[in-house]
Amino acid sequence: MKQQKGGDMKKNWLFGAVAMLSAQLAVSTARAQDTNTVEILKRLQKRIEELERKVKDLEGGKQVEAQGADAQAKQRIADLDQKLKILERNRELDVEAAEAKTKEAPQITVGRDGFSLASADRNYVLQLKGVLQVDSRTFFNDSGIAGNDSIPLILARPVLQGTISQDFNLLLLPDFRGTSGAQIFDAYLNYRYNSALQLQAGKSKSPIGLEALVMDVDTLFNERALPTALVPGRDLGIQLHGDIFGGAISYAAGVFNGVGDARNSSNFDFEDNKAFEGRVFFQPFKQTSIEALQGLGFGAAGNYEKMQGTNVSGLPATTGGTLAGFTTDGQQQFFAYNPASNAVVVANGEHWRVSPQGYYFYGPFGLLAEYVISDQRVRRTVTQPLASAWLDNRAWEITGSWILTGEDAAYRGGVVPRHPFNPRQGDWGALQLVGRYAKVDIDDAAFPLFSNPNTSAHSAESWSVGLNWYLNRNVLFKTSFSHTDFSGGGGTGSSAPAVVTRKDENVLFTRIQLAF
Amino acid sequence: MKTMLSGLIIIAISLAGAEAKEIKLLNVSYDPTRELYQDFNTAFARYWEAKTGDKLTIQQSHGGSGKQARSVIDGLQGDVVTLALAYDIDAMAEKGNLLPRDWQKRLPNNSAPYTSTILFLVRQGNPKGIKDWDDLVRPGVSVITPNPKTSGGARWNYLAAWGYALKKHNGNEKKAREFVAALFKNVPVLDTGARGATTTFVQRDIGDALIGWENEAMLAMKELGQGRFELVVPSLSILAEPPVAVVDKVARRHGTEAVAKAYLEYLYKAEGQEIAAKHHYRPRLDAIAQKHAAEFPKLNLFTIDEIVGGWQKAQRTHFSDGGVFDQIQHTNR
Repeated sequence: MKQQKGGDMKKNWLFGAVAMLSAQLAVSTARAQDTNTVEILKRLQKRIEELERKVKDLEGGKQVEAQGADAQAKQRIADLDQKLKILERNRELDVEAAEAKTKEAPQITVGRDGFSLASADRNYVLQLKGVLQVDSRTFFNDSGIAGNDSIPLILARPVLQGTISQDFNLLLLPDFRGTSGAQIFDAYLNYRYNSALQLQAGKSKSPIGLEALVMDVDTLFNERALPTALVPGRDLGIQLHGDIFGGAISYAAGVFNGVGDARNSSNFDFEDNKAFEGRVFFQPFKQTSIEALQGLGFGAAGNYEKMQGTNVSGLPATTGGTLAGFTTDGQQQFFAYNPASNAVVVANGEHWRVSPQGYYFYGPFGLLAEYVISDQRVRRTVTQPLASAWLDNRAWEITGSWILTGEDAAYRGGVVPRHPFNPRQGDWGALQLVGRYAKVDIDDAAFPLFSNPNTSAHSAESWSVGLNWYLNRNVLFKTSFSHTDFSGGGGTGSSAPAVVTRKDENVLFTRIQLAF
Repeated sequence: MKTMLSGLIIIAISLAGAEAKEIKLLNVSYDPTRELYQDFNTAFARYWEAKTGDKLTIQQSHGGSGKQARSVIDGLQGDVVTLALAYDIDAMAEKGNLLPRDWQKRLPNNSAPYTSTILFLVRQGNPKGIKDWDDLVRPGVSVITPNPKTSGGARWNYLAAWGYALKKHNGNEKKAREFVAALFKNVPVLDTGARGATTTFVQRDIGDALIGWENEAMLAMKELGQGRFELVVPSLSILAEPPVAVVDKVARRHGTEAVAKAYLEYLYKAEGQEIAAKHHYRPRLDAIAQKHAAEFPKLNLFTIDEIVGGWQKAQRTHFSDGGVFDQIQHTNR
């Protein structure tokens, strides 16, 4: 269209030029009679050439202009084309991103690990888990102790745990078992700067007993072994902890209210002084390629406190009896701070504990051993003689396990069956054989001023064997037999510890556990 | 009779032991290695069967390097990983505890059996006259590179540009930052991965230059753009070392430790190196490297350690949330 327009213009120019020349030629012809005709023609010729040149120049200028406009238009079109393609591609990417974002929307998960609500990046996670343990204890050939054959509800706990802003973890663990009513077992906030540097504040397990630190759902026997009776249970405090060199070294060090042996904190301190607790544990081969040694760990833990209390909270728990004391595997008290003459014993002065400990796990095999010394100053009050003494109580255990179905054993995480229980497909879960030997020695200095030697035992020694059947990751059936014999005690009386120590303890345990 | 029975039992046991097994192996890799490992897997399976009699099936999984590492941490059962960055395998060691933290020392050359570098692809005739990194920051030049926040390859691209600027300005980080900011100002599309960026440049005709893996650029030239593109080799670039590792915990569970280890070791052998070279990865083995020397452009290369002190530091300084790249993008907006 443009070209046609250009062509028309050219024609008009030529037509005008020729018309002008014709007119001038006519005038010139008339004058030729008077002037030199040749000269006039030459001038006309020159004039025509000039005009033609002008026409060409004009035409050329228009072409250059048109070409320039053309190139500009092309560039503009190319630019627009690029912009359009960029917009289209970005739109495609936006759609892809939107689809990906849909995938990254908050996730609600219901599965074997409980119920979970998490942000897509998992920086915020809230998990609801639960544990239920129902046991049976059947005692053989005891001294007719009433009510010890029972089906107790051991644990009934919802577990609420979460992550806040990626680095903060919380755990809230209430318990609703038995006659104790609702209690808070664990309630803490943990800040994780990295795996090597973490700060935890609140109520949690004290970092001393190796078996005590095993989660309740992962213990090999229904009840923990005798050394756990000499370490603190759950306490309130603040601790720095972490894993260095990929877990080759683990440490924990903190300040706690301080509690008596095997006691849980009542959520308030009973005196002003604080307990300093610490633990260091080595797994030197954990990050190496020496598989047979990757599961080897050893370390030591301990604490120190100077108790100024005048009550019994600094002494061991009262489980299995009415006074502070220590219990058997069957949770019957074999030792109590029960001096004659209505005297009352309290913790008063320094209390330190030390515990060398270690384990070894390789494939289906597991071995755990610990030794605990609980050294405590106690005082006899109310009736004469008012005396005090250092009591050095000691206990140790060795526990072995073997998973018959070949799964890996580990200190943490329990057993995960390769073939969860499904009889229709011929899958039966995992089977584990367990065995244990443990002993506790009470300081001779405890008798008779702080404990009645006629009723309380000086020591208890026990062996246990059991079979654990992991149906799947959530359901477990346990059975075990435990035998405990005592030295000392066994005198007259129809209550613990006399009635307990009168004969060896033989008890058959079973447990059904649901954990999710 | 007793001797005969014992003999039969021994023979039966020997035969049972000698019976060929069927083994499965999963290689979790990043995007541009699809073609490389298709060839390599065939060769290794053949080699393994000849050596042991065991029939080996090797499966591949591909995606963005970081995303693949996260998948393995979350439970993808990769016996081996062959990823774009050491940082991604470090994450598997640290967060997933799936292999030891010193995994990089287990195989030669920091567990990187082949290398690559970062080059440019431009349109035929190089209409914008792009010859070196400086040309990419000129106004009016449109550059395609993926998003370093999501792509391992893009992080190599970014660090190649950063290293160039750093060396040009005698280690002046401020100048390097300005240079990288100017470069990303010229990037109209940020794809999530290297393959996506290639698609943007080659198939969607967007941009004047594509920054990318040498092997990816050569593949694009060969398969997608004969006569449409030209390779531009800058004066300086980065030595990219894509690492490989056995995922110990998974391999142990599958009983594939030996074959997984052999699989990665075979990458270092002559046949493995030949396959790498065929797919435009620079071989490590001297003899193979010399044989294919003419196929790879010669240029000066610097390492990541030289310019940022390793992947951990690079990630923390440049690519983590609020890092240099985020700051640059915020300013460019």
